[in-house]
Amino acid sequence: MTIVCERKRGGDYLYHLGRNSYCSSVARKKGAKCSVSQAAELVLVLGDLHIPHRIATLPAKFRKLLSPGRIQHILCTGNLCTRESFDYLKTVAADVHVVRGDFDDNLSYPEQKVVTVGQFRIGLCHGHQIVPWGDPDALAIVQRQLDVDILITGHTHKFEAYEHENKFYINPGSGTGAYHPLEKFVIPSFVLMDIQSSTVVTYVYQLIDNEVKVERIEFKK
Amino acid sequence: MGDVVGGNMRQPTAPQISSPPDEQDKLLDEALGIVKMQAFQMKRCLDKGRLMDGLKHASTMLGELRTSMLSPKSYYELYMAVTDELRHLEIYLVDEFQKGRQVSDLYELVQYAGNIVPRLYLLITVGLVYIKTKPVLCRDVLKDMVEMCRGVQHPLRGLFLRNYLLQCTRNVLPDIPDLVEGADPPPPPPPTTLATQITTSGEEDGFGGSVQDSIDFVLMNFAEMNKLWVRMQHQGHSRDKERREKERQDLRILVGTNLVRLSQLECIDLERYTRGVLPSLLEQVVSCRDAIAQEYLMECIIQVFPDEFHLTALDSFLKACAELQPAVNVKNIIIALIDRLAAYTQRGKDEPGANNGGTGGTTLPEDLQLFSIFSKQVALIIMSKPDMPSEDIVSLQVSLINLANKCYPDHVDYVDDVLGKTCEIFNKFDLEKISGSSPVGRELLLLLKIPVDNYDNVLTLLKLEHYGNLLDFMDYEGRKSIAVYLINNALENETRIGTSEQIDFMLGLINPLIQDQADAPDGNGGSADAEEFAEEQSLLGRFLHLLSSEDADEQYIILNTARRHLGTGGVKRIPFTLPPIIFAAYQLAFKYAEMKEEDDKWEKKCGKIFQFCHGTIVALTKAELAELPLRLFLQGALAIAQIPFENRETVAYEYMSQAFSLYEDEISDSKAQLAAITLIIATLEQIGCFGEENHEPLATNCALAASKLLKKPDQARGVGICAHLFWSGKNVASNGLPIRDGKRVLECLKKGVRIGSQCMDTLVQVQLLVELLNHYVYFLEKGNEEITAALLNQLLAKIRTELPNLEVNEEREQIHKHFDNTKEHIKVGQANGGVLVEVQLEE
Repeated sequence: MTIVCERKRGGDYLYHLGRNSYCSSVARKKGAKCSVSQAAELVLVLGDLHIPHRIATLPAKFRKLLSPGRIQHILCTGNLCTRESFDYLKTVAADVHVVRGDFDDNLSYPEQKVVTVGQFRIGLCHGHQIVPWGDPDALAIVQRQLDVDILITGHTHKFEAYEHENKFYINPGSGTGAYHPLEKFVIPSFVLMDIQSSTVVTYVYQLIDNEVKVERIEFKK
Repeated sequence: MGDVVGGNMRQPTAPQISSPPDEQDKLLDEALGIVKMQAFQMKRCLDKGRLMDGLKHASTMLGELRTSMLSPKSYYELYMAVTDELRHLEIYLVDEFQKGRQVSDLYELVQYAGNIVPRLYLLITVGLVYIKTKPVLCRDVLKDMVEMCRGVQHPLRGLFLRNYLLQCTRNVLPDIPDLVEGADPPPPPPPTTLATQITTSGEEDGFGGSVQDSIDFVLMNFAEMNKLWVRMQHQGHSRDKERREKERQDLRILVGTNLVRLSQLECIDLERYTRGVLPSLLEQVVSCRDAIAQEYLMECIIQVFPDEFHLTALDSFLKACAELQPAVNVKNIIIALIDRLAAYTQRGKDEPGANNGGTGGTTLPEDLQLFSIFSKQVALIIMSKPDMPSEDIVSLQVSLINLANKCYPDHVDYVDDVLGKTCEIFNKFDLEKISGSSPVGRELLLLLKIPVDNYDNVLTLLKLEHYGNLLDFMDYEGRKSIAVYLINNALENETRIGTSEQIDFMLGLINPLIQDQADAPDGNGGSADAEEFAEEQSLLGRFLHLLSSEDADEQYIILNTARRHLGTGGVKRIPFTLPPIIFAAYQLAFKYAEMKEEDDKWEKKCGKIFQFCHGTIVALTKAELAELPLRLFLQGALAIAQIPFENRETVAYEYMSQAFSLYEDEISDSKAQLAAITLIIATLEQIGCFGEENHEPLATNCALAASKLLKKPDQARGVGICAHLFWSGKNVASNGLPIRDGKRVLECLKKGVRIGSQCMDTLVQVQLLVELLNHYVYFLEKGNEEITAALLNQLLAKIRTELPNLEVNEEREQIHKHFDNTKEHIKVGQANGGVLVEVQLEE
């Protein structure tokens, strides 16, 4: 596995999404199948919104980025807290997976979930049940139990993306930048995964000083 | 002119029978055929220079216009065909005159035509040629023609004849100011026939009339056409009323053309308009006492004349509005005018350059109190029309507010004035509990939303004294929809509401969301269903985050004020509304902690905040809630542990013990119990502010509670998690460092294994053992010396023996995978030469 890390400005996202839509339009013109757009899938990873408990709304700049119709799947780490937040995610993509956060009352959300995208098994869990919170070795236990290539958790409101024993761990942080007692300065963030067969390119979007900053991390199986 | 009346009498007086459509087509086709034939003959004669014969054919052709059998639509088609052909005659005549033919001959000649309709059409055609060739005669010819047209009194025929007159003269109307100021034009000639005058009057004496003659001409034509048009209403059977009204609507543009013609006269200045043109128009409009005419003509006046004229003559126009027939929709007229003037002043603002000269005319005259005039006149109109429906009254107020907003954006008092007047009207009409779905309610909602949209700052509403009063006239649903509207606006604009006064005001306006209302329907807190209620309440929850101040002390007061209001919401609302307050309070405590250098009372203030939160959470427990307050207490404990204020250990202990009590007393569902105790353990693991005497009972209680869970697997898992309390958990004695009590960790794990082994279901048993194996590995790797390779080997052996006995199914597969992955992990550890080396993975 290789981790490539580079900093880019927010425009990358548009380029990124633009490529897919370009492909499909070309495909339509020629009446042929476009293999790239067939294989590439965009997965939005976000959670810990805590609306309305801790904050009023998702940052406007994020809402603008998350326009409908470009993302195929959403993996939500939980703490949507209300039906409206879930409905909002449904407008961004049709396929939404949510696990239960400590402030979710919706009993239909499972504690854990495994979703397969491309060649990747992806585990999803909010993480408040994993003691100590955010501990990499404790998370590794869950990864082994769920037998996944990528484990996504939240709860700490702090973005993380790292590789550990050839597995990939992602914590998208809090999409709203909601208050957390153990995290002094919460930066609003979410993650976009571009999955193409055995490669995941991960883009993390952070709102720093009201500017969207994008970082790119690649993971290969 | 003696035969005018006779001519009229001789015309066919067939009743206006509405012939069926195909009958109409047939009649029209026949008439058009004749027109075509006669036109052909006419042109042939003209080509050969036989003018008299040509005129005869023209007259026959025009005779078709005498019909009474055609509908206005068909008549119009016929009229177009005929006038089209008349153009040939006109061109021929102009040509002839330029060759030197005598004018007077013809003017006399055409008057011998047998019937009045063809005669007048010919007269107009020839008259036009006269004017063109001898402009000096213009005034007299115009006057003569417009008077002669009176000879046709049949509405349809008259309207089209006069329309022809208007069309023909459109390019020859004098449009020059009077030459001598104040001097009357030469006295009208003695009542000789015009024809003789034409032959006698001197050539080129240069005085063909002024704009005043054009005005007189058009005004007279207008008055006559309007009379004809109104008279249509009163002809024929009353059962045809509807059809007649429709026909009149079709014909209205003929009348309106007069106004257009007036507006095209460039020499009509403000003075002429206000003193001459408008009063005559209004007099005609008012005195015709016909609703259709009044409504159309008033709108026409607004449309065709420039805004500056309206601005100056506003008073007389509005006064006329008050005198219109009751059936006239005055509202639409006024609104059209207001919207136009508001847009006009808007334009002036968008082009700042136009203001400089003052002659640009795009700014409001300084002394013109546009709003006061409208406000006063609208009030008068409302008074003079007691039958006006209340929704129309409110929509008049709506346009007044629009006017105030557009022209006087700084005059909040104008807006308030309108709101106040609307209140008075409602009081007078004795209206209350107005439904948002009634016509008047819809207008009222609009009225209430305009200031919100316009200022995009809900706090501006504070300056509107009457806003709240007016809102109270709405019924529950209406008030609620405004509340939702206000909140959405505040959220969109991120309007921060930062003082207690503002909060009292805003929470007053959105009160239908905050507490039960006397007039609300029962059930679901007055909402249609539980889902809608939840949606409204979470919207309110989002709004609460806007109640904030930069100043910490102020923020504390704000939270208390909000809490006081929200506390009245009842058990259904507080689960939505109090958590935002509690989280805001926790954040405030952190803020005080950061300010400790500047504020020496910060510790006391933090203490107060957590007391406030404690009370607020307890209020939630009284609403029969358990899990939410439990989580909130745990969140509080985490916050407290981060802030080193005096007494914090006691406060934190209180929060933790409250969480425990809720766990023990209120949560009975086994799944909920496991979730709750896990959260308590995980939280305690993070808290390092307890001394041993407090940490010990809490940790022990956790372990005890875990082992008392109903189901064995839950017990085993709970106890396993507890192990972390004694390893990475912290307390004061450990100086905030992990406790690392290896022995007690082992105790927990052993207990877990013991409980796990008791499970009857081997599948579950092996699953738990694999999970616990992972815990063993975890602590071994973390350096817990109590955990030995021997213990792991024991566990591994046990799993290995049991695994093959399991029934083959998906769950077994998962356990197998988990076990394989664990072994893989141990192998990696062994390869790195760590503590795992002695672990035996295979038998």
